Amino acid sequence: MASSQKHGVLYQLERLEARDQRSAKPQDEHQGLQDSETDLEAKIRKLRKLRDELRTKVKLHEASARIPITNLEPYEPLKNSEENLEMKLEKAKAFFQAFHLTGLSGKLTTKGVCICFSTAFEGNILDSYYVDLIIKKPLTIHRHSVPVFIPLEQIAAKYLETNFQHFVYSLSEHLNAYSGRKYQADQLQCGFSAFLARPLQRNSLCTLLSFTYTTDPSGKSFPFCARLVYQDLTTTLPTNVTITYQGTGATPASWEDQRAAHEPLFYKNALYKVFESFLRVREN
Amino acid sequence: MDEIVAEFIRRTILKIPVAEIGKILRIWNFLSESQLKTINLQQCKENVSQDVVELCKKKRASMKEAAILDIIYHQTCQIKKIWIVYKMTKAPGEEVDLSDMEEFKASFKKVLQRALKNVHISFRDSEDDAVWIRIAWGTPYMKPNQYKTTYVVYHSQTPFVFISHCQIKKYIPELWQALMTAGNYHKIRQMELRSLYLDSLKAIVFKQYNQDFQTYYLTPLEEENSEAEIVDPRIIHENMKEKERIQRVTRETFGDYVQPRIEFAQYKLETKFKTDCKNGILAEREEPFRCLVKFSSPHLLEALKSLAPAGIADAPLSPLLTCIPHKAMNYFTIREK
Repeated sequence: MASSQKHGVLYQLERLEARDQRSAKPQDEHQGLQDSETDLEAKIRKLRKLRDELRTKVKLHEASARIPITNLEPYEPLKNSEENLEMKLEKAKAFFQAFHLTGLSGKLTTKGVCICFSTAFEGNILDSYYVDLIIKKPLTIHRHSVPVFIPLEQIAAKYLETNFQHFVYSLSEHLNAYSGRKYQADQLQCGFSAFLARPLQRNSLCTLLSFTYTTDPSGKSFPFCARLVYQDLTTTLPTNVTITYQGTGATPASWEDQRAAHEPLFYKNALYKVFESFLRVREN
Repeated sequence: MDEIVAEFIRRTILKIPVAEIGKILRIWNFLSESQLKTINLQQCKENVSQDVVELCKKKRASMKEAAILDIIYHQTCQIKKIWIVYKMTKAPGEEVDLSDMEEFKASFKKVLQRALKNVHISFRDSEDDAVWIRIAWGTPYMKPNQYKTTYVVYHSQTPFVFISHCQIKKYIPELWQALMTAGNYHKIRQMELRSLYLDSLKAIVFKQYNQDFQTYYLTPLEEENSEAEIVDPRIIHENMKEKERIQRVTRETFGDYVQPRIEFAQYKLETKFKTDCKNGILAEREEPFRCLVKFSSPHLLEALKSLAPAGIADAPLSPLLTCIPHKAMNYFTIREK
């Protein structure tokens, strides 16, 4: 109070200004910090974008091993029209052959088209499934012979209207994978039943297989209780393999070693191949 | 061993046809091979069942094992119950789940036993990877009635459940709730499809019967021309053409293979009576003429398939008859459009 009498209003204003300037400096620093923060955020976004681009590149690279029927050389017009026709015919034949190898074929029906999905696994021809489509807006499935546990409605809901090629490809993936898993389970059940202590248990999609096996059918070795889970409906190899010990007491060291050797085999090979290798080991 | 269990086993053996008794006892695997050899299957059934009961008494069979014997009997001699098909739906957006059968059974048992005291639940897997559930219902004051049981057949990761027709209807909602919770489903509804033949019902809903799909590799069957009896060549040609047309239409509708087996189809009509005759009591009435039309046969779909080739009906048949396997229905209600 006393100071206000000595110093006038102007002095007060000066003091306020000075205080303001003092508090503005950390604000500048604060502002500086904020600026570098936004710079860093922008950098993070850029790096993430780059990472996603690289990821898609890697995926495409991996996928380019199979397909691409659509990436044939662009058609070059020839001078002679007869040669044109011959080339067209050859190309069409090649297309049909290539598609036949993929197991997809179709036939025009009175109202639309009937697509046949022929499945196969490791060179063995398996079941065929049909989807009868009616061509009208919207594209609808008239009838089909796809098993009820394949998520046909979900695949159709996602792709049938928007991307027909992807619909066919996705359904083909699911059907081929299901056929492959079923074939492996059937082969194990029929071909290697001597190795199984109890019958193979499976669910309808063959995405959960549970069985108890030994490496020696004469019963001298320990039993292994295996549980194979196939989380991805489009694969024929398991995503999770668990092998547990069934007997009482502590697990013997030799059992542990064998288990450690078996587990990677199930991840990488078809079921019957794993048991074929057990058979070979036993014969040696 | 309980007298009730003994009586139940005795009555179950009496139900089994003599030819199947040995097979069923072996599948049951409760009595040893040497014990089974002591049973004389040539004697009359009453004596056979008495022998079995004596052997079971020695081994102290409980209701649990007797229930399994009952399930095996129903799995082997299948045409004893009418099966009704139910369809469950998931909440939208849910994906196919892993479906561990052991978890399903444990969950089903837990939910049903929590809802109802005094139920006796037994499980047995069948060869086609389905689970058979046998439920004997009791009340809080009465032990479960082992003679009035409900059977449920379920294939994992499918929305269909097959439930046998049972006189005890009180506990159906609890049964549905247990099925939905165990299977991770949201709703259940009864389908208009029922039959004695469980395998045919499965074939229809799982689309395992050989439907006729047009493919490149289907070659049409060439009919052998038999010796003509009629002299006039024009008459032969017309008959032949019509016969070929009927064969073609029948093949397009039904396919080349054997149809699933159902024994009846029922149509409830709630339509107005249509007649050409203008006078008459029934003509020109506003109210619908309600009637029930029932087709029955030992093998209904094969019978329908042979109607046109036999000349009894025109080809193509009414779509109401031919849609039975495609629509998975054999109970229809037809109203005025």
